[in-house]
Amino acid sequence: MAATKDFSTTGESTIIGPSILINGKLSGDEDLTVRGRVEGELSLTKTLIVEPSGIVKANVQVRNAIISGVVVGNISATESVELTREGRMVGDINSPRVIIVDGASFRGRVDMGNAEPRPASERPAQRQAPVSRPVVRSPIAAPARPVATVVARPPVKPQPPAAPVIPSKAPVAAPAKAPVIPSKAEANKPAPPPPPQPVLVGEAGKKKVLLKKKK
Amino acid sequence: MANTVIGSSITIDGEISGDEDLVIQGTVKGKISLKESLFVEASASVEADIEVQNVEITGKVTGNIAATDKVELKADCRVVGDVRAPRILIADGASFKGNVDMDVKER
Repeated sequence: MAATKDFSTTGESTIIGPSILINGKLSGDEDLTVRGRVEGELSLTKTLIVEPSGIVKANVQVRNAIISGVVVGNISATESVELTREGRMVGDINSPRVIIVDGASFRGRVDMGNAEPRPASERPAQRQAPVSRPVVRSPIAAPARPVATVVARPPVKPQPPAAPVIPSKAPVAAPAKAPVIPSKAEANKPAPPPPPQPVLVGEAGKKKVLLKKKK
Repeated sequence: MANTVIGSSITIDGEISGDEDLVIQGTVKGKISLKESLFVEASASVEADIEVQNVEITGKVTGNIAATDKVELKADCRVVGDVRAPRILIADGASFKGNVDMDVKER
């Protein structure tokens, strides 16, 4: 790829050749091209390029990262991280822009930070779609609500064990539930009155009512 | 044509090893071991023990240097440390403090 680069301009960029191993801390203010191996810690104020022969096992802090080789470790970029077709990475990415191309291999977390005004309307919409979040939530949440409300409410109201729990929630919950219940099941209409009554009277009142029912 | 360059704004703290030429323009601390040539350029600052085949120093080096072939201290270089190699060249203008040992059985 970039193997044909002239070395006459080497003053402005650093190259780690394919047979070189660096173990330790590496920091700098210029572009860094890795064709060999870097282990430890890597921090740059410019761009890190990991070429296909390059291996980086390090925690990386850069402005931009373009990964065509192997990276094991976390990358924190102030601008962007790009995993190319040949890129393989295991670790977490923390960057406002993350590009993962088809063919790239990646395992880890991605954090693009808080949704920014611009990306929020454009990019995240595209990226979040394939993410599992919406898919996972819909099947679980959708059936859970209707099933739970219909099934759970009728038994709860007449049952004694519900009594101690309701008093604190009842004042708020009762009005909210009331409009929902009659629309779904009219047969439950007589049920709603019992919960408000014990609430107004207090726990003592409820127990007495329940005892009477049992007897 | 393998070529490794450590640029002038780069700082490395640790070990560097490899089988190819290495050009240092920046700062390296720790240890350097190569099977080929090392070039420490004028802008470079090296605080490391160096084990290489050849080394050519124009910049600043603090640490012991052991070369299997040749050590060359160019003009304007500053070297503090022991130098051990079968061939050692010290140019006019070079600054050097340390022991020299050419009694290395080579070839």
